[in-house]
Amino acid sequence: MLQVVELGKSYRNVRALDGVSFALPRGRVLAVVGANGAGKSTLIKSVVGLIRFEGRIVVDGIDVSRNPKAARRRIGYLSQEAALHPDLTVAETASFYAALRGLPPQRARECVELVGLGAVSDRRVGALSGGMRRRLALAVALLADPPLLVLDEPASGLDVAARVELRRLIADQRSAGKSVLLSTHWLEDVPHIADDVLVLDRGRVVFTGPARELLEAPAIESRLYLRINGRSQDAIELLRRAMPQRPAERLGDWVVLPVRAAEKASVLHTLVAAGIPVSDVRVEEAPADEALRRLTEVDP
Amino acid sequence: MSAFLTLVRKEVRDATQSRWLVGFALSFALLVLLFARVQSGGDVFAEGFNRTTAGLLNLALLAVPLLALLLGASAVASEREQGTLATLLSQPIGPGELLLAKYAGLTLALWAAVALGFGLGGLLLALFAPLGAFDRFLIFVGLAAGLASASASIGVLLSVALRTRLRAMASAVLVWLVLTLFYELAAIAIALTISASGRTLLLASLLDPVESARILGVLAVEPNLDVLGPLGAYLATELGVGPTAALLSMAMVAWIAAPLSIAVAVFRRQDV
Repeated sequence: MLQVVELGKSYRNVRALDGVSFALPRGRVLAVVGANGAGKSTLIKSVVGLIRFEGRIVVDGIDVSRNPKAARRRIGYLSQEAALHPDLTVAETASFYAALRGLPPQRARECVELVGLGAVSDRRVGALSGGMRRRLALAVALLADPPLLVLDEPASGLDVAARVELRRLIADQRSAGKSVLLSTHWLEDVPHIADDVLVLDRGRVVFTGPARELLEAPAIESRLYLRINGRSQDAIELLRRAMPQRPAERLGDWVVLPVRAAEKASVLHTLVAAGIPVSDVRVEEAPADEALRRLTEVDP
Repeated sequence: MSAFLTLVRKEVRDATQSRWLVGFALSFALLVLLFARVQSGGDVFAEGFNRTTAGLLNLALLAVPLLALLLGASAVASEREQGTLATLLSQPIGPGELLLAKYAGLTLALWAAVALGFGLGGLLLALFAPLGAFDRFLIFVGLAAGLASASASIGVLLSVALRTRLRAMASAVLVWLVLTLFYELAAIAIALTISASGRTLLLASLLDPVESARILGVLAVEPNLDVLGPLGAYLATELGVGPTAALLSMAMVAWIAAPLSIAVAVFRRQDV
């Protein structure tokens, strides 16, 4: 569905992308991850044909440089800013973009309903929350039922429920045989929403592989905070025995330990099985830039 | 409806919702009547179109370019700042198509404002005043529309080239000052102090769309050498009224086409 060959892009003296090549088959989801300035947005914008680039990008057999309009007919794009005209209502926005693609107003209504904004279709975009605006931008991207969805930081600004909904929507697209290229900072989401992952560092590909490998990557560690009234010491000793590689320690009223994405549930299960009640749980996500720096060091 | 027409319709809608444009139309409708009243010494309809048109000409030469330059300057730069330019260009439309559609919509809205502003006042005058000079009033309205188109074209070029709205708007004001005030002063200075060649004076009159429109307006309303100014007087004397009008009309068309063509060429090569 998407082929990127030796993609390069320079901004004055800065090499934003250098020799990036990959393929995204039909019915697969590829997540592009990388720290700020790694080249994610430049890659995404190149695929959509919003910037000029070196190399070759082919979408569904169409060369993006030679025929950008035809290529964009096959692409649904969600920009990082989810920027839409603030003076239009939700319904007007969807209808406007549907008309640009020669689609009937009925399709615009369907997509607004699909992203759960039917109840606010008369509300102006300027009055929407950031999360709602992002959902509307997603509806715009879905209008033409394109074979390739290109989503730049789609989870940014979404609450937990909306992120779960986004995962479902992406899974539905994959089930329907559509391909999805997305960039994200949320490393822990990647194994749940993507089949494959591509890590960029300073414009170069430093890691490609199955997304589930990220679950085991030592770089992707969060800090798990547990409040255990009266039995903190018991919990610490139990966790140190059960997970010696994850040293639990006390921090005020909390028991804190570093965990990978797949280990959170097993920590809770270990405590509950031992009869130690957990009254509160908090997760401090790994800082994306730091985790990615470590990830690129681990998998050069 | 095609993508182009959809974009034009959106641009017309945006422009007509702008308070500037509506305010401009209403202000000019009132000014037409006010000028008619002042020029006729109290009897609004005694003098009719000719004096009213002559009085309005200078005002229109100031207000119309300013409005069109500012609206043109904000056309692309504001979309870029809002981030909506990327959303628009991710649709199956080309940058040239988008720019031309934005220009067309903006120009239609400006024409509507000019027609409404001058047309409403003109209609009231036409009902009661002698119709002798009505054709000149219509020429004046057409000139104002042409000047709006040329100014919007320059504004759109600034909008594309300068990228941020603030810089584009500031440059639009600067261009307006040059075209409406400084240019004529410079032309007078050249005419008075330097023994400029005929070719220089001809070129000077063509290189400013506002000056071209002013000379055309005076030729249409009151072809008087004193009112025509140094450049207009030179052209009318050397070429005659008809060829001067034809030449300046072509210059106006060039002022519409050239900045817009450059803007399209630049926009096509820009990254979003």
